[in-house]
Amino acid sequence: MTVRSYFLPPSLPEALALLETHGPELLVMAGGTVAMPLINEGISLPEVVMGLRRTGLDRIEQADGTLRIGATVTLTRLLEQRAVPLLAEAARNTGSWAVRNMATVGGNLFTPPPGGDVAVALLALDASVTLAGSRGERVVPMADFFTGFLATRLAADELLVGLSVPIPGGRTAFTKFGRKHANTPAVVTVAVHVAGDAGTVTDARIALGAVGPHPVRARRAERALVGTDLDADAIAAAAAAATDECEPFTDAIATDWYRRRMVGVIVARTLERLADGTAGAGR
Amino acid sequence: MSAPLNVVGRSVDRSDGIGHVTGRTLYTGDRTFPGMLHLRMVRSPVHHARLRGIDLSAAERVPGFVRALTAGDVPHNRYTILSLIGVEPEEEFVLAEDRVRFKGEAIAAVLAETEEAALEAVSKVRLDLEELPAVFDVEEALRPGAPVVTHWGSNTFMYEGHPCRRVRLGDVEAGFAQADHIVEGVYNTSPIEQAPIETTGCIAVPEANGRYTVYTNTQALYFSLDNTAIILQVPGNRLHFVGGTVGGGFGGKVDVIVEPIATLAAMRTNRPVRYVYSRSEEMQVSSTRSAWRIYFKDGVMNDGRIIARKVTSYADSGAYSRQTPYSLTKHAANVGGPYAIPNVSIDAYCVYTNRQPSSAMRGFGVTMGSFALEVQMDKIAEVVGLDPWTIRFLNAYRNGDLKPHRKPAEDATLIETMQAAAALVGHELPAELLAMTSAPRTDREGGR
Amino acid sequence: MASTIVTFELGDREVEVMVRPLTTLQAVLRGQLGATATKEGCRQGGCGSCTVLVDGAPVLSCLLPVEDVAGRRVTTLETVTPSEGLHPIQQAFLDANAYQCGYCTPGMVMLAKALLDHDPDPGEETIAQALTGNVCRCTGYRPIIEAVGTAADALRDGDAGQPR
Repeated sequence: MTVRSYFLPPSLPEALALLETHGPELLVMAGGTVAMPLINEGISLPEVVMGLRRTGLDRIEQADGTLRIGATVTLTRLLEQRAVPLLAEAARNTGSWAVRNMATVGGNLFTPPPGGDVAVALLALDASVTLAGSRGERVVPMADFFTGFLATRLAADELLVGLSVPIPGGRTAFTKFGRKHANTPAVVTVAVHVAGDAGTVTDARIALGAVGPHPVRARRAERALVGTDLDADAIAAAAAAATDECEPFTDAIATDWYRRRMVGVIVARTLERLADGTAGAGR
Repeated sequence: MSAPLNVVGRSVDRSDGIGHVTGRTLYTGDRTFPGMLHLRMVRSPVHHARLRGIDLSAAERVPGFVRALTAGDVPHNRYTILSLIGVEPEEEFVLAEDRVRFKGEAIAAVLAETEEAALEAVSKVRLDLEELPAVFDVEEALRPGAPVVTHWGSNTFMYEGHPCRRVRLGDVEAGFAQADHIVEGVYNTSPIEQAPIETTGCIAVPEANGRYTVYTNTQALYFSLDNTAIILQVPGNRLHFVGGTVGGGFGGKVDVIVEPIATLAAMRTNRPVRYVYSRSEEMQVSSTRSAWRIYFKDGVMNDGRIIARKVTSYADSGAYSRQTPYSLTKHAANVGGPYAIPNVSIDAYCVYTNRQPSSAMRGFGVTMGSFALEVQMDKIAEVVGLDPWTIRFLNAYRNGDLKPHRKPAEDATLIETMQAAAALVGHELPAELLAMTSAPRTDREGGR
Repeated sequence: MASTIVTFELGDREVEVMVRPLTTLQAVLRGQLGATATKEGCRQGGCGSCTVLVDGAPVLSCLLPVEDVAGRRVTTLETVTPSEGLHPIQQAFLDANAYQCGYCTPGMVMLAKALLDHDPDPGEETIAQALTGNVCRCTGYRPIIEAVGTAADALRDGDAGQPR
């Protein structure tokens, strides 16, 4: 085996020290659901690996209208929390029970597309990411975190340690459309957060997954909703805008053609559920 | 008075049930032997290329590397699994010689003390490949100027000098001229991976008496033993193949792929050798159900009788034919359907492309033909304005009718089966259909 | 390449293994401890045939470095099987013919055990949802879902002396 050392640091400072010592050679993993398949297959051949399970980054705390989620909180625990139903819904649609017991919220931000369904929900919630490194901690809004395909603002000497989620008012809805009902990669994922419980939309967030190099905000679709009552015309306009502005790709799950056709359908269905007040329903 | 039956008609526990629910059942990969080596295969990263060289130097330096085998090490490297039933020529290579014909084709077998060392060594093997144009579509493969996949120069398997399996009955062109309607359709199916949860694998173990025991999850034990004997050029009695529980096969474990090279490795190292496919090898390298393109052209009368049927089928055999020649034979015999049609022409091609080889999978040759055939029958029903039941009753063969390959139907039961099926689903058939039987036609009805 | 000693509970006994870095729990169970009931179908976390419980929660042992379970309690099909007879879940699988080739069966039984430990009266939909991570290529799932339901009934009826 190529692995010479596997570290399980018991604290964040020790984890950061290991990162500083070993630099970019150090493969960092939390749940292992993305890294271990590649290692098992012989595609990834790291010499030094660090696991974050013992680093104490697994707290969930609610204070001052914000839910703070440690980076290594598992998707099972995210599913069980009640403070932000949109995140529970995103977790419910990711993986299977065993996968959720291992996979982490932080790790979901580094899952290659079409993965990252929890990241899509975090994007719609205007969450921010806390990064810790040799120069201390800093906070980056989710909307700025992704910079390209498998590229983020995480610097080489940093670890993602937590997420801050403003507990949303208004209405939220989440739809993941895959080829199966569960435990399946996304054809397209949609997360929506609309300000206001009813009546005119004053603000909207629409985040899309699996139709771009990373989870993205459909900003033109959002603008199409502001000032409307979420009526059929507004929903159709938002769906059309999302169809136009997304950048779908072809993979083994779906073609770019199919993804583009489905993004409008799924955006519309999600907004309809929001308008009906049936957003609690899963699909 | 007959003796009571103790098993027939009773619900009996399967003898392996307790083993399965307790996990005590031993599958091939569960076994381990002292000194066991692990085999991992170096595979072609491209679809079609000249193999100019294999550089093992970096691989050899990996701690735990033991040795590598290449084509020159294999006593009878070029083989065909169906040679045992007279199918020729020998066209597939245990390890690639000077060409690779599909992405994933086996090039060199690396043996190491651990699985991880073998994987690392494989990653360090350098290949000198000169890429060649590749073809992935059955009809493109048959056009002049298409890249040639086989070593004998054509992209079709030859059936006694013909490029396809042929069935001829009557005169289809005369039938078409006479028909009131011509109904055409083209049907495409994708390759399908059997995907058993247990991957293909074996362990070859040298025995004290000079024989080799090969524990394998093949579906075809004797077939694998015989082919291994041919490839290794040893008498069959040097080999002892042990099967047992197969963790799912569905046709995916009949190709004799892992046993020959693992046994050779055991012979060359005098140690047990384990060769078990990874999941990605099972999905992307092991054979699949063939992709098909099937053209139907039917001549149909206004009253719904099909009087002429022409079928042209192409099966994508991929880079090597394996079981597909047999598949085409079955297909040609069945794709006309259980129908009495006086003029039939079937041309069924086994086509080579640079895709992953296809082979056996549940009813291969027949299942995809049935799909195309029955959708075509529904189409015919629409064209002539009859319902799907009626069109089939009308054309169903009866005892004594000639099938397309000129055998008279015996024990025909399509009519009775459809009557029973209709009753089961609560569909009321009209009286004249309920009155039909498979009894031979009388002169009143006219011959078929 | 330094090996380390990892100690964990396997069922009701403590085991100690020496492992190279990042060896998975699956490799330790199957390769070092001869506990081959836990299967190996993909090593990608995709099939569920490697499912075991760690402190009662189902995990995929093919993705879990054994160092991560140091000091924790691991449950496998071997530790669920009683010294005499069968666990009610195993009996239910047998009675429902909830297996064909048997390769997915250990993972299914382990998942069912975790489910019934958490939720003694799951409906059919809950059972189906819980099993989404376990792939079966043979049975079509119906007899497996039925078996889990039957096992739930049997366990709730509180057969005296039945192991849980």
